[in-house]
Amino acid sequence: MPNPKLQLVGAPFTGASERSVIQTRSISKIFSLPEGPVTALKDVNITVNKGDFVSFVGPSGCGKSTLLNIIAGLLPPSSGTAELYGEAITSPSRRMGFMFQTAVLLPWRTVEANVLLPAEVYGLKPDSVREKARSVIEAVGLKDFIKAYPKQLSGGMQQRVALARVLTYEPEILLMDEPFGALDEFTREAMNLELMRITQSAGITCIFVTHNITEAVFLSDKVVVMTPRPGKVSGVLDVQLPRPREIDTMKDPAFADMIFEVRSLLGRHI
Amino acid sequence: MKHPDQWTDTAKQRRHDWYFRLGTIGIGVVILALWELLPLLGLVNPIILPPFTKVAEALYTLMQQPFFPGHLAVTFNEIMIGFVVGTLLGLGIGIALAVWPAAKRLTYPFVVGFQAIPKIVFAPLFIAWFGFGQTSKIVMAVVIAFFPVLINTMVGLESVPSDARKLMRSLKATPLQIFWKVSFLHALPIIFAGIQAAFTFAVIGAIVGEFVGAQEGLGYLLNLYNFQLRIDRAFAVIVILAGIGAAGFFILEWMDRKFIFWREDRSH
Ligand SMILES: Nc1ncnc2c1ncn2[C@@H]1O[C@H](COP(=O)(O)OP(=O)(O)OP(=O)(O)O)[C@@H](O)[C@H]1O
Ligand SMILES: [Mg+2]
Repeated sequence: MPNPKLQLVGAPFTGASERSVIQTRSISKIFSLPEGPVTALKDVNITVNKGDFVSFVGPSGCGKSTLLNIIAGLLPPSSGTAELYGEAITSPSRRMGFMFQTAVLLPWRTVEANVLLPAEVYGLKPDSVREKARSVIEAVGLKDFIKAYPKQLSGGMQQRVALARVLTYEPEILLMDEPFGALDEFTREAMNLELMRITQSAGITCIFVTHNITEAVFLSDKVVVMTPRPGKVSGVLDVQLPRPREIDTMKDPAFADMIFEVRSLLGRHI
Repeated sequence: MKHPDQWTDTAKQRRHDWYFRLGTIGIGVVILALWELLPLLGLVNPIILPPFTKVAEALYTLMQQPFFPGHLAVTFNEIMIGFVVGTLLGLGIGIALAVWPAAKRLTYPFVVGFQAIPKIVFAPLFIAWFGFGQTSKIVMAVVIAFFPVLINTMVGLESVPSDARKLMRSLKATPLQIFWKVSFLHALPIIFAGIQAAFTFAVIGAIVGEFVGAQEGLGYLLNLYNFQLRIDRAFAVIVILAGIGAAGFFILEWMDRKFIFWREDRSH
């Protein structure tokens, strides 16, 4: 019996809709190395709808970061296109914000100055965004550290600064490459709740790469499962758990079912 | 404003620092005592190593001599011009090579090859080219001070984390913005270490230049006193040169602490 929650590649999922924000059309990426070509991505079709939280899970080397970099406009695909509101992405866009596994803070800048970096790059007067920056720094719980330097902060606090930095310029789309991968379990959980609360209330569309299946299911409306050699999408799961989600959501039997389904899609690759 | 490093200071740590400072002073006293006593007790020939007090005396009388300020000024000038020009050249060329990869690929073998030459072999040549005056010494100081700045600038600019660049690219930063807001400041601790080395090298360059052929300067005086076997005066000149080197080093060290407060590998 076919599982109604499960849409395999080639299924209606590829169809565009007016709600779609990001769409990839048979993206492939081949890296040519001295040892020969490496197919990092093969024929990837995905659609991300407005306001959705979409996670990419898959074992190391299946091309998650490559795909995210292509969507961010930081890396050109070998063939196919990535589109933002129907237009081909050829360079980074200020409508998208990027978050990395590490916070990538500039050590000579205070928390506030780090958060103001994007505004500076955009040529805005720092004073015009200072209020906004303060309120975002407060929202991520770093009110008392606004004048602190990065080396005085823990890893989790540094990642909060990175979150504040990206939220301050109000991107419509947030691209995150294992943003909490380097954090301990407790901090990760707290960050998950915070991220969900902030992005939900601001209606930000999120694309989130992770190794952690629980995290992916907990956060997402859709989980895209990828498998390596060559990197491709092996399935997409709709997560129909109700929102707002709290830690209690994890007790829901449907939550465990979802995790199991992701696992079975990953199949022999884990 | 308080230095962020000091926020973590504790009274205990400060006491600890003081013990070490006292220890260092103690070692200094022992060295001076040996310097004084070994020749006095006849364990070392006082002609070879004049006692500390003799050197101090020679230093005092040397500094009273009417000819002394002129020699000091000449060498000081050579060192400072050599240091500043060498630093600016190293910085400029290092930045150019780092931001323009084609230029780096074309010239890197020559940079490495030239760097491998002990630069003082050029000292006699520079005398032949630029004469016995200050120019040949300045050129020597520039050539020898230039390399640590060049190499550290290149290494520093190349060690910028790729994620930091990627962050800037995702913000659509211009190459100039990436350079000034991220790369240059990231490289600055490494560049500054090169600048500190450059000062010491500029002193070496100026003195070696004077050794090879000069009619004025501290290196000339040192050579002269050596030939005259006035070893106490020779030592006095060495003390002055050591003072110049140390002063430069500590001023640069102070600037480093003040301006590069985020340096990670700082011990205190
Ligand atoms: N710049 C590059 N040059 C050459 N090969 C690359 C490059 N970037 C990625 N690859 C290759 O492409 C494949 C996919 O890499 P990618 O980093 O996208 O995987 P990933 O799913 O993000 O892995 P991880 O979970 O470990 O981060 C790998 O085989 C990798 O070696
Ligand atoms: Mg990755």
